[in-house]
Amino acid sequence: MSKGPARKSGIGCYWADLSLPFKGLVLVALPLVILIGSLGSLYIASDAEARAEDDVRRAFAIQRDIYQVHALLAEAASGVRGYLLTDQNRFLEPFYKAERELPLTLARLDDAIEDEGVRLEFERFLEITERKQSGLDALIALARSEGERPARSDAVLSALIANKAVLDELRSQIEEIQRQEGILLDARRARVDTVRARFLALTAISAVVGLLGSLAAVFLFSTGVVRRIRMLQANAEKLQAGDPLNPFPDERDEIGRLAKKVDRASELLRARERDLREGEERFRLVVEGVRDYGIFALDPDGNVTSWNTGAERIKGWRAEEILGRFFGTFYPEETRDYLPREILERARRDGTTEDEGWRMRKDGTRFWANVVVTALRDETGRLRGFAKVTRDMTERKRAEEFLKLAREQAVAASVAKSEFLSRTSHELRTPMSAILGFAQVLELDREELSETHQTSVDQILKAGRHLLSLINDLLDISSIEAGGAELKEEALSINDVLAEAYDLSGPILRTANLDYDLSLLPEDALIMGDRRRIIQVILNLVSNAAKYNREGTSVRITAERVENAVRVHVLDDGTGVKDADISRLFTPFDRLGRQKIKGVEGTGLGLALSKRLVESMGGEIGYTHRTDIPKGADFWFTLGLARAEAAPRKVPSAETSEEQP
Amino acid sequence: MTSIAVPYEEILQRRILVIDDEEANLLLLETLLKREGYSHIHCLSDPSQAIEKLVEVDPHIILLDLMMPDIDGYQLLDSFRRQSRPDEFRPVLVLTADTTLQARRRALSLGAKDFVSKPFDVIEIALRISNLLETQILYERVQGQPSDASG
Repeated sequence: MSKGPARKSGIGCYWADLSLPFKGLVLVALPLVILIGSLGSLYIASDAEARAEDDVRRAFAIQRDIYQVHALLAEAASGVRGYLLTDQNRFLEPFYKAERELPLTLARLDDAIEDEGVRLEFERFLEITERKQSGLDALIALARSEGERPARSDAVLSALIANKAVLDELRSQIEEIQRQEGILLDARRARVDTVRARFLALTAISAVVGLLGSLAAVFLFSTGVVRRIRMLQANAEKLQAGDPLNPFPDERDEIGRLAKKVDRASELLRARERDLREGEERFRLVVEGVRDYGIFALDPDGNVTSWNTGAERIKGWRAEEILGRFFGTFYPEETRDYLPREILERARRDGTTEDEGWRMRKDGTRFWANVVVTALRDETGRLRGFAKVTRDMTERKRAEEFLKLAREQAVAASVAKSEFLSRTSHELRTPMSAILGFAQVLELDREELSETHQTSVDQILKAGRHLLSLINDLLDISSIEAGGAELKEEALSINDVLAEAYDLSGPILRTANLDYDLSLLPEDALIMGDRRRIIQVILNLVSNAAKYNREGTSVRITAERVENAVRVHVLDDGTGVKDADISRLFTPFDRLGRQKIKGVEGTGLGLALSKRLVESMGGEIGYTHRTDIPKGADFWFTLGLARAEAAPRKVPSAETSEEQP
Repeated sequence: MTSIAVPYEEILQRRILVIDDEEANLLLLETLLKREGYSHIHCLSDPSQAIEKLVEVDPHIILLDLMMPDIDGYQLLDSFRRQSRPDEFRPVLVLTADTTLQARRRALSLGAKDFVSKPFDVIEIALRISNLLETQILYERVQGQPSDASG
């Protein structure tokens, strides 16, 4: 974010941009270089001083040697004079000594003298020295030639005088040299003083420079490293606290780059925080806005820490009233002591738990709640609290209870109805059993009866059987309507069922003296239905045709595929049904005035029963006039196809139809 | 079948106990059985005395109505079964106006040997009874312990 304060320019900028190893190198090298410089200068200064002192010492040595030459010559001259006076050789000892030592001393002097002026004087001194030496040599030689005499010749005297003059000249020359050397010595001494003063000054300057260098290094270290690290540290602390960072100079060394990274991290962190906050805010708004679910949070001890609108609506507590309170408050007294803890324990153990039961509102009223409690854990697995979602299921609970009651009542009603049917069946059949039974017994011995009695027995049997079939059909219809019909629906081959129905109904048609024939489906199909009931329907339709097809000559069973069903037709070529009567065909006990037709039996329930049976299997039943021939009836019904995957099953026909006489 | 045929006279000597609360039905069955030629027919209209009567008569076959007041036929079926000896073959023919499948299954599972709905065909009933008795006689022959047919 921060572009940083304006960058320093020039050296400051250059220094700041240097990498840390370079900075370290500079910081260590700077005082070190200054120290080495000081040491060097000290060495040079002390060397100069030593050389100056050496010069002084040499000047003293020269003076000493010159005095020694003078002393040697002076002693030699005195010795010679003594010899001349005494002729004793022992006086010549200094002369010989001088002869021995003088060349050594002179050679030393020759080496030591460097100054041009002094050398000039020294050469004259050498020449005078030689003259003196040779004067002395000559004197000795003269004296030896004269022999042992107490007085000396004038030649010797003049030589003596000359020698004395040479010695004087030597003395003055020595003085000259000494004077010049004295001047030189003074100059050298002055130089030594100068060098020493300079050396002292240099030392002082080195000390000061060294100190300044160290200070500079400390300063550089402080500005270039320490201060910026402190700033970085401050920024890191702000980052930790989530505060905005201080602007950091845009520098290119490691610290600068680190600072830039910290800055970038802070930006990312804040962007993420902002997203998170926005997400949380959205989520909070959603949760708070939910009205149908009470959503709230609990701390690990079960105290309420958040509360939404739904919770307020369901439980009646407002957020400020309930926050911080134990959630057991919502439980009715009988469960308050154990259930809240138990639920939390379950959630703690299983992660989430569900409960359904009575809870209490603020006003003490109860509601049936469905509660889901989920344990909230942080990434370390430590329990942070619980989320609780509560739904008010009171309405549903009531509806459920109502439904349950209704169902129970319906079942009870159904049981009562079945019971009633069963009893009715029994009550009607029992006397029928006696009537038909006795009539049959009578019939067994009919040859013993008079003709009138025989007719009577026939009438009893006929009416009794009619009444019995009436009772059977009626009970059948009732039991279907009571929902108690025992339908055994299964996938059946329609051709098998048709063939069976055809075989069973053959005798009816034969007695009616009609042609009877069956056309199977060219391609067999599986239909869903109760075999026995389907056959019952077909038999009903066929026996109807047999009864009423007085004018026709034939009855035929056919079938066809329609959509997802098979339609079975029972066709005849009789007069058919009048249009006006079609709508009444399937009404119970409505025999369309045909009961008057002589000899036609019927309960008037056959079609009504068939209709109920077909409908209970999900099919339709109906009547249409035949169109393929001028007149004739077409009674048809449909049966739904079994689903393709249902395998055809052969039905064991153990389940026999009710036995009827 | 002919080789082991049982003489019809032997069948007619068997004791028959008919239990039904309807006097008319009792009379019908009695009339029918007498007409067939049976000589030992015992009728009982009060089912509460069924066990006593059973011990008293020791019938070869029982014709039982299922729907009766106080004690129903199922209870009696159960008691008969518990009263019978393991090697005994005493068939019970159930006669009832209850035509439901459940009634049929329940009766047969409780030991009834046959089941006929009312109203019944009298000839059919007579045939079923004689068939059961014939089977019983053959069973006794196999067991080698012909029971006392004289009563």
